[in-house]
Amino acid sequence: MNKTVNINLAGIFFHIDEDAYLKLQRYLEAIKRSFTDSQGRSEIIADIEARIAELFNERVQMDRQVIRVKEVDEVISIMGQPEDYLVDDEIFEDEPQPTPRRKKSNARKLFRDTNNSYIGGVSSGLAHYLGIDAIWIRLVWVLLFFGFGTGILLYILLWVLVPEAKTTAEKIMMTGEPVNISNIEKKIKDGFENVSETVTDVAKNVSDSVSNATKNIDFEKQGSRIKSSSRSFFEAIGDIIMFFFKVIAKFIGVLLIFIGAAALIALIIGLFSVGVANFVHIPGLDLVDIVNAGETPIWFVSLLTLFAVGIPFFFLFYLGLKILVNNLKSIGNVAKFTLLGLWIISVIGLIVIGIRQASEHAFDETYVEKTELPITAIDTLSIKMVGNDNLSSSFYRDHSDFKLAHDDEGNKIIYSSDIDIRVKSTTDSVITVAIEKSADGRDYQKARARAKNIDYNFELRNNVLLLDSYFTTDPKNKFSDQEVDVVLYIPENMIINFKKNTESYIYYRNYDGNLIRRQHVNYNLKILDNDLECLDCPIEENEDMEIEINMPNVKINENGIEVRSEENHLKIDESGIKAESDEVKLNIDKNGIHINTED
Amino acid sequence: MKIENTKAQMRKGVLEFCILSVLKDEDAYVAEILSTLKDAKLLVVEGTIYPLLTRLKNAGLLNYRWEESTSGPPRKYYGLTETGKLFLKELDTTWSELHHAVTIVTSQKPPKK
Repeated sequence: MNKTVNINLAGIFFHIDEDAYLKLQRYLEAIKRSFTDSQGRSEIIADIEARIAELFNERVQMDRQVIRVKEVDEVISIMGQPEDYLVDDEIFEDEPQPTPRRKKSNARKLFRDTNNSYIGGVSSGLAHYLGIDAIWIRLVWVLLFFGFGTGILLYILLWVLVPEAKTTAEKIMMTGEPVNISNIEKKIKDGFENVSETVTDVAKNVSDSVSNATKNIDFEKQGSRIKSSSRSFFEAIGDIIMFFFKVIAKFIGVLLIFIGAAALIALIIGLFSVGVANFVHIPGLDLVDIVNAGETPIWFVSLLTLFAVGIPFFFLFYLGLKILVNNLKSIGNVAKFTLLGLWIISVIGLIVIGIRQASEHAFDETYVEKTELPITAIDTLSIKMVGNDNLSSSFYRDHSDFKLAHDDEGNKIIYSSDIDIRVKSTTDSVITVAIEKSADGRDYQKARARAKNIDYNFELRNNVLLLDSYFTTDPKNKFSDQEVDVVLYIPENMIINFKKNTESYIYYRNYDGNLIRRQHVNYNLKILDNDLECLDCPIEENEDMEIEINMPNVKINENGIEVRSEENHLKIDESGIKAESDEVKLNIDKNGIHINTED
Repeated sequence: MKIENTKAQMRKGVLEFCILSVLKDEDAYVAEILSTLKDAKLLVVEGTIYPLLTRLKNAGLLNYRWEESTSGPPRKYYGLTETGKLFLKELDTTWSELHHAVTIVTSQKPPKK
């Protein structure tokens, strides 16, 4: 029992067995590939289909008879194999032809050359296509193979997408004439010759028709002649334009392939290494894991990213290949829709993960530890930062500085220097140190647990409060905006002194009762009721102040002071003081005081 | 150098001339042209003729008209154009010269077998 298919061949209806139909379809496909559009492919195919319909018609006696493989085979043997359709252009090319319209030679097509193949014939096919020896292509493959194995991916893509050269016709097509400068030049030249010849043709026709018109000869025929001539003229222009379009299209194709392949390769290398490294826990890549507060497996995120970004680039690559290689195999609708679906799923997945990641910061909780320091109000309290040689020896607060490090026992820890120091006054008699630890989390409990897990220490030694310049936490707490605020409640009338290295940790704003400023560093500060007094801050004075007053009556400059009025004159300079009026002169200098009167 | 290629080239070279000659006296549709050529054993498979016909038509040597058929799809009847007739005439002369020349050469020096 056989399934039959109904087909319409040149307007005639046939029942045909499914296998016979497939055979016929393959046959027609192969013939189609033997021609280029410029040879009038569709017309030739239509003629051939008409002839096949005729041949079938001769073989079908009854209305309900089905065409079987046998009939198809017969017809194929009459019509000939696809390669028999090939017109060897070389023979005709040199023949003088009455019209300038000449057939374009077959464009070279990319096939896989399985006759000279090591694996899939991709290299030798490319070699034919590019007109170079296959050894160079293979060399490139080998180089690409060592370059992170990207060659393998590209090779498999080409292997799948490029059809194999099966028939002789396809094998001939595979080795077209080489694409080189002189050929391009020739093609352009041909195009211009066509145009100029056609132009003269048209001109001739027009003058012919004008002279003929006077002789009352069939207008219609002449009209059609003009029409056909002008049509071929525009066709020639069209050919030239098409040629340039083709060159541009090929260029775009190359560009697309390049972009697509580069992006795919980069993506695969990048994500593969991150994903795999994470999966098998290669040290040094833990950082990625720590940032990832959502606790989604990294390899999964990598995979989604690969699909979400890679699939569009794959289509770009495919498009480029399609522009460049016109007989490219289609990847099929199933594959297309699968990829599309995969892409949509990946994008949605990434969005969900993103939201989850963001929600990890939804709650910001603070955990406070208060400690009273055994120090009496009489003493002066110094405050200093202490670092850790293993982590960071610099005393500079950096609120974005989250790092992964190892503690003294070699365990992995997250450390950060996001510490703020504030000072508040209190009426208590003891100093209270409040360590406010805060962190983000998906919910209250998680945020609070993370805040609590922050490890921060200080120590009082000989009236010196030693604050750690960093805090640490276990990597399982992730980077979740942990920070530590150190609030010192200092009894009134106590004197404190912040040492220089605390400067960048001091909270810089005056708000929330904070008394301390960064410029207070290194001075003795006396705490008052919600205020503070600097005991040894330099009085604001300007040693280098220079004042010069130059008025007609008053002069103050580096030499001294001089005041003149109509009757009086006062001068103070390094020699002494002189005061004169109309009647009295006063002179004070190193010799003593002289008072002269007029009288 | 393959013998098949040479043969094919020889055959293809005269094929255009023969197609034009078939159409010299009256218009014909493809099957008629084919049967003439096949009878003369000039053509083994039919496929070869279609691109040639399109080529000749595009070159302005042939034109065609559609004619309904009682038994099958409508038929393309090909005929010679004015340029086609001139072209054929010229080919005719060339062929007789060639035939003459080839006869002289081959009778003097028979081809090695």
